[in-house]
Order: sequence, then C-alpha cells, then structure tokens
Amino acid sequence: MFFKQIRRNAAKNRKGNGLFFGSLAIAIAAFYTLLSLGEQDVTRYLATIESEAVEKLMTLLPIVYGISLFFVFFLVYFACKYQTDSRRRELGMYLMLGMKRGRLFSMLFCETLWNSVISLLIGLPASLLLTEGISLVTAKVVGLGIIGHRFSFSPYAILWTVCGYVLVQLLSMMIICIDLGKAEPADLLRSDDAKKQTILSCSKSAAIFAVGIVFLSLAYYFGIFRMRTLNMAVMLCIIICGILGTFLLYRGLGGLLGRYIRRKAPNATGLQTFTARQVQENVLSQHKSLAVSSLLLLTALSCVSYGVSMGLARSVDGRSVDFSIFGEDEKIDAVLESDDVHEMVNDSYPLRLSVIKDGYFRDEDKAFDASKLEEALGSVEGSDNIIENLHIEYVISESSYNKILEGVGKEEINLEGRKAAIYTSLANEGDFGSILGKALKKGASIGIDGTDYELLPTLYYDNVVADRAITLYMALIVPDELFTEVAREREAYCRNVRLTDTIVEDMGLMQAVQKMDALLADAGIEYDSYLGGIGRNLFYTVAASYLTIYLGALFWLIANTVIGMKYLIGQRQTRRRYETLTMLGADMELMSGSVKKQIGSYFSLALCVAVVSSAAAIYTMFTSFTKLPEGASLQRTAAFSVGALAIFAIIEILYIGIVKRTAIREIRRIDITNRR
Amino acid sequence: MNMRNQILQVESLTKIYGRGENKTEALKGIAFNVLEGEFLGIMGASGSGKTTLLNCIATMLKPTSGKIILKGKNVAGFSGGELADYRGKKIGYLFQEFELLENLTARENITLPLFLHGVSAKKAKSDIEALAAMLDIAGELDKFPTQLSGGQKQRVAAARALISDPDIVLADEPTGALDSKNSKTLMDKLEAINREQRKTIMMVTHDANAASYCSRILFIQDGRIFHELRRNISTESTSDFYDRIANVMAQLGGGSANVL
Repeated sequence: MFFKQIRRNAAKNRKGNGLFFGSLAIAIAAFYTLLSLGEQDVTRYLATIESEAVEKLMTLLPIVYGISLFFVFFLVYFACKYQTDSRRRELGMYLMLGMKRGRLFSMLFCETLWNSVISLLIGLPASLLLTEGISLVTAKVVGLGIIGHRFSFSPYAILWTVCGYVLVQLLSMMIICIDLGKAEPADLLRSDDAKKQTILSCSKSAAIFAVGIVFLSLAYYFGIFRMRTLNMAVMLCIIICGILGTFLLYRGLGGLLGRYIRRKAPNATGLQTFTARQVQENVLSQHKSLAVSSLLLLTALSCVSYGVSMGLARSVDGRSVDFSIFGEDEKIDAVLESDDVHEMVNDSYPLRLSVIKDGYFRDEDKAFDASKLEEALGSVEGSDNIIENLHIEYVISESSYNKILEGVGKEEINLEGRKAAIYTSLANEGDFGSILGKALKKGASIGIDGTDYELLPTLYYDNVVADRAITLYMALIVPDELFTEVAREREAYCRNVRLTDTIVEDMGLMQAVQKMDALLADAGIEYDSYLGGIGRNLFYTVAASYLTIYLGALFWLIANTVIGMKYLIGQRQTRRRYETLTMLGADMELMSGSVKKQIGSYFSLALCVAVVSSAAAIYTMFTSFTKLPEGASLQRTAAFSVGALAIFAIIEILYIGIVKRTAIREIRRIDITNRR
Repeated sequence: MNMRNQILQVESLTKIYGRGENKTEALKGIAFNVLEGEFLGIMGASGSGKTTLLNCIATMLKPTSGKIILKGKNVAGFSGGELADYRGKKIGYLFQEFELLENLTARENITLPLFLHGVSAKKAKSDIEALAAMLDIAGELDKFPTQLSGGQKQRVAAARALISDPDIVLADEPTGALDSKNSKTLMDKLEAINREQRKTIMMVTHDANAASYCSRILFIQDGRIFHELRRNISTESTSDFYDRIANVMAQLGGGSANVL
C-alpha cells in the first residue's frame, strides 16, 4: 500500500510538472557532459599528442565537478521545493489523518528516490545523445572529421553522475523535510501562504537603493579604471563592492516600486496596479534570490563571453605553414614532385632565416644599434624588463616572410627605402607583444653598420615554421640584400609547404595533414608538421572555451531556475487572489496578461542589473588581465560575442516563455464554478 | 407583490452534486423573488443548501436546472465577457474571509472592480471617499490588509462590493470571521446602506443577531424553502425580530413539523 502510494504520487508529480522534470534532466546532462569530457573525440585525439596538458585538464575535472555539484544542488533544491510546496495541503492532510512525521518523510524520500531513478532513465540516454552531438560537432569544427568518431560511453561518468545526482536530490529533500518538520499541520493546510507585505519606508528604501548604486558604481570604477593588471586587492574590492551593491540595490528596489505604484495608481486601469503590486511583492520577499540570480547571470555572461572569445581567438592562431621540410634541395624537390605529394601541395618556398653574423651584436660593437628602439620602448609603461633583455639574434628575409603572409592571406610587407620590421613568435606571451607593438607605433629605428633602418609600425608574429615549439624571441625582417649581408647562414633554413585549400576543405585539415604526414614519413626525409602545433592550439580551445562555456551555461540555468521556480512557487501560494479576481469580474485573458507581465518584469529586473554589470565585467576582463592574442580580429571576436549574446537572448526568451506557459496553465486551472 | 420592483427571480432552481448513486440534491426546486431595496436573509442549518443557493446566484456554481433572472436576464446562460461583466458590475460579493488581496492597499482593493472595467481611481475618487466615510475606513485607505483589524478588513471588503454600484450585494456569512462588536458595527453599516441607498442585499447567515437586521428571512432545509419571516420595519425592533428568528431556529432543531 505504502509503495503503491509512493509510485502513484511520484507519477502524479511527473505528469504535473514538466518544468520540474526538465530541470532534473538538465542537471543529469550537466554532470554527464562534464564527466565524459575525457571520452570525447577531441580529448582522445589531444591525449595522443598533448598527453601532459590533457592529464592536467583531467585533474581539473573533479574540481569543476565539485563546483557543479554545489550549484546543481540549488537547481535541484528549488525544483524539489516547488514540487513539495504545491503539495503542502496534501502533506498537512496526511499529518491530520494520523501519519507520523517519520513515515511522511520516508514517503517523501522514497518518492524522491523513485523519481531519481525515472529521471536518470530518461536523462542518461538524453545526456549520451547530447555528448555524442557535442563530440561530433566539435570534431567537425576543429577539422578532425567524423571518420574517426567512436561512440563514447563512459561507465565512470555514469557512476559519478548517478552518485552526484542522487546525493543532491537527497540533500535537497533533507533540507525541505527539516523545514516541513517545523511546520504545524494548520500551516500546511493553509494554501495561501503568501508572505505578509513587508512595509519599508520609502525614504529608507531610497537610501538603501542609492547605497547599492554607489557600491555598484565603485565596483565598475575599480574594474574599468583601476584594473590594468590582475591585482588581487583590487579584484577583492570589485567582488565585495559588486556583491554588496547588487544585494542593497534589490533590497531598496521594492520600496521604490511601491512609491511608483502609488503615483501611477490613480490613472491605472485593468490589472495594472495588481500586476505592479505582485512584482513589488516578489521583489520585497525575494530580494535575496533576485540578487543571487542576477550575480549568477553576470557570472554566466562573463564566463560565456570569455569562453567564446578565447576559443575563437585561439583558433585564429593562424595556420601559416603546414610542413617545414629540412635537407638538401634536390632531395626535397624529388619528394615534392612525386605525384601523391604534388597534388596535395599548394605552394612551397625556402625559408631564409638565420642567426645574425658575429660582430653584429650590439654589445660587441656598434654595428648593430638598437638604442632608438630602446628609447621608443622606454616611453611605454611596463617595458623595463623588455629593455633589459632586449636582444635580436635572428634575421628573416623579406621575400620569405612575404610568402608566409601570402599563405595566411595577409598584406605583404614592403621594406624598400631602408626599412625593416620586428618579428616575434611570443606576441601572445603576457604583455610582451602589446608593449612591443605600442613602442613600434610610436616610431623607432635600428642601426645596422651605421645606417638607420626605419622599423615598420606593425609587429609581425605569423609562424615562420610548421612546428610551434620553435620560438623566436625577436627577429628582424630585412630586405633580401641586407639578409645576405648580415646572415650567418646563407642557405635556406628549411622548405615550407602549404597544402591546397581544396584538399583541406574536402578532407578536413586534420585528415589532410595526417595523410601528408604519412607520405613524407614514407619518403624518409626530416620534417616538422602543423600537427604538433595544432595540439596545443586545440587544447587551449577545449580547456578555456569548453569549461568556461560549460560553467557559464550551468550558472545561467541555475539563475533562471531560481527566478522561474521562485515565481511559480509564489504564484501557487497566491492562487486564491486569482480566484478573488475572477469573482470580481477579471477574465482569463486579463489575468493571463497580468501573469505574463509579472514574469517578464521579474526576469527583466534580474537581467537588467546582470547585463549592465557584465558589460562592465567583460570590458574589464578584456582590457586588463585577459588580452586577446595579437592578430585575433576584434571584429570577428565581437561578431561572435554578439552571436553568442543573441543565442543567449533567444534561449532566455524561450525559457521565459516556458515559465509563462506554466504559469498561465496554472491560472487556467482556476475555476470558481463548481469548485465545491 | 409588485412585479416592477422585482430585481431577482429564482425559478425552480436545482443543484445536484455527483452522479448516479453518489448524487446529492443540494437544491430541490427553490423559487423566490427579491424586491429592489430589500435586505433578504437566507438561514438554515449546515448542509441545508443556503450557501449553494448564494453561490449559484453569484455564478460560482452552475445550477443543474432552473433559472436565475437578474433584472430580466437569465444569469445561468452567461459566459465569457458577459459573465465577467455580471460578476464585476451587477453583483457585489462579500466573503466570509474578506478575500482582500494582501499586497494591495485598502484603496487599491476597493478600486479593483473599477480598474477591471476600465474606470480609473481618479474618476471614482469622490465615490471612494464617500464610501470610506460611510464605512468608517477613511483613515485606513492607504494601509495594507495586514495592518487592519478584522472589522476594518470586512468594511474594506464591503466598500469593494459596493464601489461599482451593483444591482445586488451578495453576502456569504459576512460576520462569520468577526467578533460580536465588529459584527454589530458591520451590520449597522450594511443596514444603513440598505436603508439610505435602497441597495438590495441578500445575505446568507446562521447568526440570528446578523439576521435580525434583515427585512425578510427565508429558512432553507434540505434544499427547500420551508419558512419565511418578515419584519415590520416600522413597528418591529431588531431585538423583537431576533426573538422570532431564535424561536424558528429553536424549532428547526426539532424538525419542520413544529414550525409549519
């Protein structure tokens, strides 16, 4: 009998609350997606070439899992609370009929477990499909191709998903049961359990609101003007001011809304006053939830922006050279002219890169004079370290570098008229690239053998060889004649090869590189491939983007669940008001309209502050500690950020739509005729 | 009886709950008229069908058969906008538990029926103030229900029931949640409104004290009207009428044979 009742109650709960079950299924998907990261095609591929980095990422996963567990707890807690709140009357009846509290709680726990089993049975296959989808899309996007796709079923991920999910469900139920344990049966039987209207004087509200604005402004000020580099003290100030400001702003907002309603009330018609009072009541009683949700939304927006732009910026870390072949020219020519290789090669050219001849280093004599570059660097803040270590050991010939630029589709450089350019492959290491770039823009020159060569105002950084492990701290791009004069080695350093675009498009970059790799290996010549470099590139894409976007999406989901569930719980508690409105002559359309407006306003209140704060946060992030790598197109990054924002807005609108539909369905259930 | 003064006609009203073997006949063909300006009381024991009758008139329940005609229109046939109009404009309803919206001030609660029908509070300012003065709640208009006493809440609810100048005010045990002092204050006010404004009031009650303010009382038992008392307003005091009501109620306990 007891278990029959548990199954029946659980089934009733599932049928009545799509939103509740949706939230639970998403919680399961969130756990599984994260835990199965190691099984995804991209990660498996990365593990073969960047095993150490992937291992580091995998050791990070339990920490991210712990964070997710903590946040998913709130999602599940609110979903369960919504569920039990709607059954308060029923639970009160059980107590009145003589059911012991212990038995009532064990019934609720068993229902929770039963629901957990059912939602796992639905959620796990859905998660498998989702992760497979993500795996395929990522593989396609990064050019892995889907040929090597393997169905990734991870028993480890399933085990921990089940454990984590059941744990948070039981913990949520435990907290809810403690709350229920304190309630008297009469409290439970009273369905209209709306909070009393909190009376807070208008002036007090206005003062609290103003203090909140001041704290938020302070946080924005610190972020925008005082956060040039990652400074923990300033960061702490921003976090404290931001959190305090957000909480105080929502605390004071309720009273201000009351003032606004009073001013507007004489001219209001329909349910305008009622709608506004409902919103005000929600703000007054839920100001803490609103603040928490708004802060979560802010974190979500910041995480997603960071993830999207960093992922994109890394992925634009240009593929300038696919292969660098070493050895004698004749041998290389023979290989390149063989049919299999020939049809895949778009272009090949010798790279003239060399150490500068002895005697040209500045410390030894004045033949090589970098004083004007030092001067230019001196006028840029934070350049002391660079000036101290300034040394140029290499030269690259203009024609070779132009070939590289041609390969990546960039404008070629022209060094006619005693000009030279600075090259570094470390443009993205800390501030080095940006400081050097700023110094060059100010105008600098370099003296060689007593002749001044004007330096181009642009810093060049496109990879000169296929293997990114080879780095050049600083090199000078010089006209070909000057190269011959100052270079120690006159022979080409290597032969650079680029694959044809059609092959890359047809096979996917990774597959094409792998095929060529096999052909060159067969020919028995020494070469480096883009493959090694792309591993690290991909790793950053996966680690930075995947995890931050994942956390962002999770925060977003939890914030929305908190707002949505809080509203729906409140609506259920004030159901009687809608019955009274019906008695006073309000029709369904009018009440549905009011509910829609209430939900729209309630979500907007949380979103507005989050959007303003995240604009400041994103600006701070990209102007201080998180610089976009050199060469990352700002327009492209901005375009994708706007795209991500649009997707965010669409999903948000869809979510709000679901909450509205749920709320209206509740309203339509109100039928005062034949209610007794 | 002057047909021109009839505001409400109830004809052969039946209400059956449940189906088949489980059916319960709450109203068994009730018929009566209410005259304009009348203060009608409906009394009866628990389960007699008095609240079912009031709820059928208020459109909170659909009758199984019969007619409810308010000013010539059959209420039972209303739906959609007509029903909303009827609830908001033609009747005023006074609930036992007040049913004020806790998050609206007294003023906003009172003006709610007007808002619902497109009238702004500005236009009805003088009406609100007159009603508030009459019901002694002028100083409480900007307070929330939680800041009011039970008696004040019921008087705010009365003002809400009267603000749209309905044809008839339906009151369901309006003194049920009030102490005797507040009950007396409320009934004094309702009687004054009935006398001075000729407002028709139909009140369901089991409180003989409250019923003694009525001009006519219908006693219901087992879904049928079985007795009627009329008060001679000019010669009979409320306390005399109370005695007659108490007498009928005492006999009700012993079965209808003693009354009829």
